[in-house]
Amino acid sequence: MRRICTLLILLLPAITAKAQDNYAVNLIPKELLPYTSSVIRNQSVVTEIKDAGSMVYRIKKAITILNKNGDDDARIVLFYDKSRAIKSIKGATYDEFGKLVNKFSERNFNDEGTTDGFSLYQDSRVKHYLPSIASYPYTIEYEVEMRYKQTLVLPDWRPMPDASIAVEKSSYTFACKPDFKISYKEINMPAKMTTGKNQEGLTTYNWQVSNLKAYRSEPYSPIAENYLSKVKIAPKTFTYSGIPGTYSNWNDLGRWEYDNLLKGRQDLPQFAKDQVKELTANISDPKQKAKKIYEYMQSKTRYISVQIGIGGFQPYPASEVDKLNYGDCKGLVNYTQALLEAANIPAWYCVVEAGSNKTSMLNDFATMDQGNHIILCLPFKNDTTFLECTSQKIPFGFLSNFTDDRTVLACTPEGGKLMRTPKYTTAQNLQTRNAQFSIADNGDLSGDMVTIYKGTQYDNPEQLVGEPFNEQVKWLRKEYNNISNLEIEKFNLKQDKQEMPVATETIKLNAADFASADNGKLYFSLNPVNRMRSLKDVRNRINPVYINRGYTDEDEITYTLPKGYRPDSDPWVVNLSQPFGKYRASVTITGDKLIYKRRIEIIDGTYDKEVYSKLVEFYQKIADNDAYTVSLVKN
Amino acid sequence: MYKFLLNLLVIICIATFAQAQDFPFGKFTVEELQQKNYKNDTSAHAYVLNEFGSTRIDMGNNDRINMFFKYHVKIKILDSKAFDKGTITIPFRSYDEIIEDVMDIKATTTYTDDAGGIRTAELDASKIYTTSLNKYWKEIKFAMPNLRNGCIIEYSYTKIIPGFYSFPSWDFQSDIPKIYSEYQVHIPAFWTYTAMMRGGLKLTKNTSEVERECFSARGAKCDCSFMSYGMGDIPAMIEEDYMTAPKNFLSAVYFNLQEWVNPMTGAKQRVTKEWADIDYNLKHDDYFGSQIKKNLMKPYLLPVVAGAKDDLSKAIAVYQYIQKTIKWNGIVSTGSDNVRKALDTHSGHVGDINLALVAALNSAGIKTDAVLLSTRDNGTVNRLYPVEREFNYVIAKATIGTEEYLLDASDPLLPFGTLPMRCLNDQGRVICFDKPSYWMDLNNKQRKITTSALDLTLQTNGKLKGTITTYSSGYDGYLKRQAIKKFNSTDEYVENLDERLTHVKILKSEFGNLHSLDQPLSEKYDVEIDLYNGLNHDRMAFNPIILDRMVDNPFKLQDRAYPVDRGMPSSSRYIITMHLPAGYGIESAPQQANIALPNKGGRFMTDFSGEGSNFSYSNVMQFDKAIYAPEEYPYLKELYNKIIASEKAEIVFKKKS
Repeated sequence: MRRICTLLILLLPAITAKAQDNYAVNLIPKELLPYTSSVIRNQSVVTEIKDAGSMVYRIKKAITILNKNGDDDARIVLFYDKSRAIKSIKGATYDEFGKLVNKFSERNFNDEGTTDGFSLYQDSRVKHYLPSIASYPYTIEYEVEMRYKQTLVLPDWRPMPDASIAVEKSSYTFACKPDFKISYKEINMPAKMTTGKNQEGLTTYNWQVSNLKAYRSEPYSPIAENYLSKVKIAPKTFTYSGIPGTYSNWNDLGRWEYDNLLKGRQDLPQFAKDQVKELTANISDPKQKAKKIYEYMQSKTRYISVQIGIGGFQPYPASEVDKLNYGDCKGLVNYTQALLEAANIPAWYCVVEAGSNKTSMLNDFATMDQGNHIILCLPFKNDTTFLECTSQKIPFGFLSNFTDDRTVLACTPEGGKLMRTPKYTTAQNLQTRNAQFSIADNGDLSGDMVTIYKGTQYDNPEQLVGEPFNEQVKWLRKEYNNISNLEIEKFNLKQDKQEMPVATETIKLNAADFASADNGKLYFSLNPVNRMRSLKDVRNRINPVYINRGYTDEDEITYTLPKGYRPDSDPWVVNLSQPFGKYRASVTITGDKLIYKRRIEIIDGTYDKEVYSKLVEFYQKIADNDAYTVSLVKN
Repeated sequence: MYKFLLNLLVIICIATFAQAQDFPFGKFTVEELQQKNYKNDTSAHAYVLNEFGSTRIDMGNNDRINMFFKYHVKIKILDSKAFDKGTITIPFRSYDEIIEDVMDIKATTTYTDDAGGIRTAELDASKIYTTSLNKYWKEIKFAMPNLRNGCIIEYSYTKIIPGFYSFPSWDFQSDIPKIYSEYQVHIPAFWTYTAMMRGGLKLTKNTSEVERECFSARGAKCDCSFMSYGMGDIPAMIEEDYMTAPKNFLSAVYFNLQEWVNPMTGAKQRVTKEWADIDYNLKHDDYFGSQIKKNLMKPYLLPVVAGAKDDLSKAIAVYQYIQKTIKWNGIVSTGSDNVRKALDTHSGHVGDINLALVAALNSAGIKTDAVLLSTRDNGTVNRLYPVEREFNYVIAKATIGTEEYLLDASDPLLPFGTLPMRCLNDQGRVICFDKPSYWMDLNNKQRKITTSALDLTLQTNGKLKGTITTYSSGYDGYLKRQAIKKFNSTDEYVENLDERLTHVKILKSEFGNLHSLDQPLSEKYDVEIDLYNGLNHDRMAFNPIILDRMVDNPFKLQDRAYPVDRGMPSSSRYIITMHLPAGYGIESAPQQANIALPNKGGRFMTDFSGEGSNFSYSNVMQFDKAIYAPEEYPYLKELYNKIIASEKAEIVFKKKS
């Protein structure tokens, strides 16, 4: 079980417009309507910094909701806690013709405790509001001011917040005292920054966009971070929870984090240190020592998240985790680091953006908000090893698809270092299956099947571990749902927990009526165990094709056919080859044996958007081929 | 925090099944600690060793009547998959008069440490967190310290609930098995409750005694009934697919206040005893009867019903008016504080919407009653005792001529006379103000009906060209309209469909009755289907099921303990007519199938007819019941097997030499 921890929620609401603005729906340019469920009519966001310790954030937004699908875009969600306060809220709703329907204010908001679904406790709260208007279209206009007691994390600006939202006009202004220096990064921005001074003498940085069409979510798109427009801003000097700091690159930021949030939190009681020494007394190889300590940590802790104040960025002290035997990702990594230190093994606390999508730190632009999880790095010479510390079961040194192949920030005493986690390749993510099936003349199937899972595919049968047999059977019936009436006679799963782990699944099975009899023929599915699903086509695609992670599947099924029957068709072979993948399937017949072989390889990478139709065709051909029905006729 | 206990000092206590009191806190046996699995259910990741609860009605420090609910449990955690049992959440109400309180939280984990010694860790009070969830609810959360495989966690707390109306119920059964669970209640004679058992398991202890002078309030004294309900060897509750609320099947005991005597004044108050009482209360309730009696004709309905020829068209007009005027805010309820306000602000919960509907229909001269019901998620209502708070939803029943229509205006896509799935739950109580209330079936005669007709011609280039026409009627029409509404326009819906059916290219589309909700929705597509790569084969196999072939049996369990509840009957019909190029003929056709379920439960039939180069294949799938009993489950499962097998069969056609 691995969970991300919320390092800091800086979810900011989006803004209002001037009262004289006309929100009549017929004024929306026609070209903004396709694929659109709501239109941002006018939005202006202002961040203002008058001293190094706090900032004011103002948003004014008017958004027209065209139909029910856009209802959620009208929702206003404001998080607040001790370090961020809601100063004012006001707003109004308008009908199709731009006529005022209703006004609302802070007292119309619901106030609730936050629950992210995995934390035991969070001290932040949320106020939210959703107007209720029975007829579409309608417009909601609002204005919110918030005050933040920190200047470490400055709000990003994303003019296009989500799919199906078009933008008529939107702007961002960052205003600060002339001596507050910043750097900024524009990502896919259609407009350039202009700078100036406002009436109060603050330096302003402005961005403005207009008439942006809504985008559709397209399958196999690159990670949203890489194609959506965004401006990121980083301070040169800042204050966070009363701690001042200065940075201009990852090295500085990592050093600040190490010096102010991590250092001195690794003290352990003497008996815990003694325990580590005792545990590793007979091991000389540091890596083997580390493994022993890691497994010890896994056996005595569990993931529990408690987020209070600065806790968003700071781990609980190791002594606390040692006492309670639980912690969140920060706490468990820091604790493991402390245990390793007791055995003189150096380790680094690493910030990472976790998730199946491979999101890296921006190489050239350091900010504190680019990760949501912590892992541990063991900087062994020529053998850098990373550890996931929130799972009780994951093998030592294995990251799975949760944090693989991406840049992470290691916070070391020498400052921050960007490092890359290992990649699991198309060839390594291998699933190999070998089945020996017999079909009786009444259509019953019986046989054995062995499947070996490697690389990131190691996790495929993970949830079966430790489950009782009847639960395993339920899962297997879902996994192999193309075998009706599947009965599992024997099931075994063996896990070899190496850094490149291997899981071996052995099944003895039978299934009544696997082949169905019809007019003297027997029909059965050639490939009931590993079928490709077809892929939705996308016409007029905009994004390039991005395959996040590659894999290889190999299946071989040998069917022993019932006596007196022969296949009604000849042997065949299908071969497909594309830059993004290869597929080969074949049927050969020798005596009473029908042998089916299938190999598929999906190769990760980024491909031209024109490739998408080829990908659809590739998946469809495979799906059709995988659904092949064998018909047997009597000799 | 650590208490090191020598093994020798552990007091061995044998759990007895007939304790009169709570079991002692902090006692365990070495055997319990060493247990590697639970002998009565080897699939369990955790099990309850002992669970005890008690509720006592007494005067609180505030000099008011309170209920004191004490809870105490001891759970054996076998492995890390049950570590979630170590995170405890206690929700409690905190609103207006009802300010509940949770106190005396005590929690310990007993485990075997790395050296094999037995240790006990206590919960640190500073690690107990209280969160205010919203304006009605708060919760207390804590995580048990030092969880290890095989450990025993134990905790207890007392919850103080003001008043005496919502007497705590007790679930004997949960998602993990229990060795023993007992609930004791002490009820002073001033109060009378009815106790109600639910679920299929039997009590192993059920005793009742009298406690002398156990209650006193400002001099008034009385005896108490002291009741104990115990159950041993309780299996875990396992949820299955196609099942209504697990609560319906969970073994539990509930209490309902019948009457009470004010200890200070001696005045007797009957709370609820008969349906007649509830009927009377509802009729005069500000949140119910008063709302229904409002005349909505003048300010709202005059333009709505103008021009309606008969009662039915009048009723439909009113129904559609309410559907469009009040947007449902997602909250279910049985009453309304002001239906006019809901009409004016265009927003409301179910009570607002449907009581406005009842009032509006009556104002328009259509005889309409409100029907209270419990949604599928909320579980079924007991019919032995009248318990008003088991209902959580209200709908309207309009009578027009001899026909009765059940109506819910909370979704603008629902046709007149159709209820959403959430309402199709057993029976509802019709509340009439001119005669006694009565139960009625909610199944409402509604069905899901889909017909697909394909007319395709095989071209010499190997492609099929023709039309696909689908009619979705009854509830299927509603579901289809919902699916279409997910897109910003019908064009975007068709585009998505086209993209999803990669084989099929949609050349033209046409919708019928998209906005006439009570008519079958029709979709007609001109299509081109890629099936064969050129006609280079002399002999071809063709599976006639081009759309939505069934490959996966939804029923996978061997046996089933609970009924299969599909909400309503359904039927679907599929017809394909094929025209082959000249010179092709049929070599072999699939066998015809005709399989029926027992008790007229439904059937599956196929038909094939062919002549020359044309043939047609059709199948009909009918499920004529809304609910199938566990005994019917094997037949249902087998019917699906047969459908899957039948849909594999192919038609072979070949070029005549």
